[in-house]
Amino acid sequence: MEEGEARAPPSPSSTLEKQFDDFRHRLDESGSLRERIRGVAMEIESVTRLMHSSLLLVHQSRPVPEVLEKAKAQIGMLKELFHRLAEILRECPGQYYRYHGDWKSETQTVVSVLAFMHWLETGSLLMHAEAEEKLGLNNSEFGLDIEEYLIGICFMSNELPRYVVNQVTAGDYDCPRKVLKFLTELHAAFRMLNLRNDFLRKKFDGMKYDLRRVEEVYYDVKIRGLAANGDSMGDQGIQGES
Amino acid sequence: MFSVYAFQEFSLMAPKPQRLHRIAETALQSPGKRPRTMATAESSPMKDAFTKYADYLNELNDKRERVVKASRDVTINSKKVIFQVHRMSKSNREEVLEKAEKDLAAVTEQYVARLVKELAGTDFWKLRRAYSPGVQEYVEAATLCKFCKTGTLLNLDEINAALLPLTDPPVEPLQINVLDYLLGLSDLTGELMRLAIGRISDGELEFAEKICRFVREIYRELTLLAPDMDDSHEMKTKMETMLQSVVKIENACFSVRVRGSEYIPLLGSDVPNYSFLGVSDLE
Repeated sequence: MEEGEARAPPSPSSTLEKQFDDFRHRLDESGSLRERIRGVAMEIESVTRLMHSSLLLVHQSRPVPEVLEKAKAQIGMLKELFHRLAEILRECPGQYYRYHGDWKSETQTVVSVLAFMHWLETGSLLMHAEAEEKLGLNNSEFGLDIEEYLIGICFMSNELPRYVVNQVTAGDYDCPRKVLKFLTELHAAFRMLNLRNDFLRKKFDGMKYDLRRVEEVYYDVKIRGLAANGDSMGDQGIQGES
Repeated sequence: MFSVYAFQEFSLMAPKPQRLHRIAETALQSPGKRPRTMATAESSPMKDAFTKYADYLNELNDKRERVVKASRDVTINSKKVIFQVHRMSKSNREEVLEKAEKDLAAVTEQYVARLVKELAGTDFWKLRRAYSPGVQEYVEAATLCKFCKTGTLLNLDEINAALLPLTDPPVEPLQINVLDYLLGLSDLTGELMRLAIGRISDGELEFAEKICRFVREIYRELTLLAPDMDDSHEMKTKMETMLQSVVKIENACFSVRVRGSEYIPLLGSDVPNYSFLGVSDLE
């Protein structure tokens, strides 16, 4: 208090500084890794957008095989991009979930597009393992996170009401029945999951609106006697479910 | 047979955290062969697959809940250590710190060990949000103790070295990551601010000034790192709070310097008197 010694005395600040230098180095590294991941994720996004836009032709009653062919042409590209992502992540083993946020929304969209294509082609749900296979991830350390997969499936469901409406407009009166059956089953399957109060839960909650819309279309078609009577596809019990 | 296999696979894979997301998939490779728990006509490939997804989500959520609980215990007990440090005064410093260190060791052996056990074999990064608060508080308590004892910063490597014995060899040990360490450090400055004010009113001006230099140094280093951190948003708010703490300490030291001579008799008294420091808004 008597004599001012305001200047910094010899402190142990050199070890302190050394540690922080080291941290800066490490954070720089993870920063540039993140940039590379973001770069690939952006490419994934633009390929997916291309696929999505060619799939949109399905609403203009273009023949499904033709629509699918165009979208399918891009899958190879997606595979390659996911492979690149896996390569980058191999540089930091065990940190998948540290960077996961940087490609997750892109991945959700990818799943939704692939699942929609798969459904158009086969009428069934693209399973998690099948989605991984399509992306070339089945034998990779880098996998498709299940929650992202499920969110992607919810996104796909959002596409269905519009599809049904346009199909009916184009004269395919059997479509609502098929979609309704599929969506009902999907919704029931989702109800088996114990969800937390998170994004997936929110998306799942939205699925019931898709279901209701498809039910309405089915009802409209049915009550006017437009729907093909009977179970041409061999699936029974559909009437009971609506 | 296949479902049994799936569970074995799960426990086998457990030590490989990054593979957690693949559990359901492994189980999936045997659709239809698992015993039908709900042997109804409804059984379908879709239902079977979703049963796997449900198992995966349940497993993950349960684990997360347990980690959150363990983390909360670490937080509560680390806070107690911090309170213990604040009981320090001129006369009882040694014994107060000794007790704080003992308490901290107990936190490590009891509560941090449990957190480590819960996390064993999980992806540390996946569950980071669940345990980060506890780890940050623990960093805060440990660095506070160390600073009061030696006046130096406890390094991340030193903390992590102390965590090693908590894990049995084959399991990958939990190592606190840089981010949680830095977030913990930024909370430390708040505690040091309280400590500095207390020391000043107790007449230990030199100690307060030592704190001031230390906190300044940390703040300076962190300004360089904060923008590069993964979730720089959380750090940003912490940096603002931190600057406030630094300024409060500086102002307090300033007040004593400038007006100190007039108050010297007061400084020695037992009654803490903050008002003259201009820090009545302490809390």
